[in-house]
Amino acid sequence: MTLEVNKIWCKGCYICVHFCPHQVLDLDEMGKVYIKNAKQCTACGLCELRCPDFCFTVSKETQGGTEK
Amino acid sequence: MSRTVFMQGNQACAEAAIVAGVRFFAGYPITPSTEIAEILARRLPQIGGKFIQMEDEIAGMGAICGASLAGVKALTATSGPGFSLKQELIGYASMTEIPMVIVNVQRLGPSTGKPTAPAQGDVMQARWGSHGDRGVIALYPSTVRETFDITIQAINFSEKFRTPVILLLDEVIGHMREKIVLPAVESIKLVERKKPTVPPDEFLAYKPDEDGIPPMPAFGDGYRFHVTGLAHDETGFPSGSAEITNALIQRLHTKIENHKEEITLYQEYFMEDAEMAIVAYGVTYRSAIAAVKQARKKGLKVGIVKLITIWPFADEVINKIAKQVKVVFVPEMNYGQLVNEVERVAAGQAKVISLPKVDGNLFTPQEILSALEEEVNRRG
Repeated sequence: MTLEVNKIWCKGCYICVHFCPHQVLDLDEMGKVYIKNAKQCTACGLCELRCPDFCFTVSKETQGGTEK
Repeated sequence: MSRTVFMQGNQACAEAAIVAGVRFFAGYPITPSTEIAEILARRLPQIGGKFIQMEDEIAGMGAICGASLAGVKALTATSGPGFSLKQELIGYASMTEIPMVIVNVQRLGPSTGKPTAPAQGDVMQARWGSHGDRGVIALYPSTVRETFDITIQAINFSEKFRTPVILLLDEVIGHMREKIVLPAVESIKLVERKKPTVPPDEFLAYKPDEDGIPPMPAFGDGYRFHVTGLAHDETGFPSGSAEITNALIQRLHTKIENHKEEITLYQEYFMEDAEMAIVAYGVTYRSAIAAVKQARKKGLKVGIVKLITIWPFADEVINKIAKQVKVVFVPEMNYGQLVNEVERVAAGQAKVISLPKVDGNLFTPQEILSALEEEVNRRG
């Protein structure tokens, strides 16, 4: 399972921070998203779904390989 | 070869746009600017250009933003109510540095106002209509011939400085027909936007050259870049940095201010020995110059300064005048807008007299002459 963040596309809207059910994400002092608690990520994909600027790629290992 | 033609200001504007290389128009027709859209709807498809009538003025602005990013010189035309609607995207074009020309053939406002009555009420809106702080170029011709030249100039400035340029026209200039001699097309100097010279992988979309203006590729040239109205760094992506934000907003001003001498277009008449001066623009200049000629016959030492570039304001020109004369008259077909700038620059060096007019009629030369004589009598 991986959570990738393309930070430069982030405009700091906080949508991911608020939608994440496990408080994985936060904004840094420049108002850009960063991964605060990677271990708590369950790859639910809400951040990827909600981000208006396509900053996230969430991959989940399945029996058939990696599902993005 | 030069051509002698009989045309109205709106037609001169449309023809000039074609000569200057405009190949895209999007907008929504509105009196008294409609002829610009009408003529370009016919002419642009003939020469491989595109004309789109959008659902409203906001969409018209959006479409010309896109067209310009795709590498085409683009123009839209409107009047007061449409100009109000366009303001947000004018600010967007300033922030994202997209060249384009917005023609505002002014009518009396506020709101629907008087759709075919002339007024000069959008002078301050051209400067401050969109929120936030940015440099603005706004030009204001006073004859049909000048409309032709200044439309080309507006397009050239927008391409050179990567900024939206506002072209303010008077209803009377837009609709008046005059016999004019158009210059030979070969003699007209056109400006093409600066393209990047670095390879695409080294390209930074908002990294300015020494002149403060970043080169601009067209979408599809092979350079990929991000365009956002958010405060952004040189890559074009949003930035939270105070330092980067400051540098960007500063540059949106300085890229224009540093070229002010080139941008400031004006003319002076009868100023050599003048003791009084009139500062006028657009059609009001034509009433004022008639008044000046009559006043000269009566022995009054009056001169006139015609401002063609309204924004950035011609501080240096007005400062020089204010040092020379005792009184500066500012006739305007509004409640008194540019007079505040004249007063700011004159800073007490000369008395500034506002001559406002908001009845939807032109100034008669006599009205201005009476104001001159009244002041002379008051001084004794």
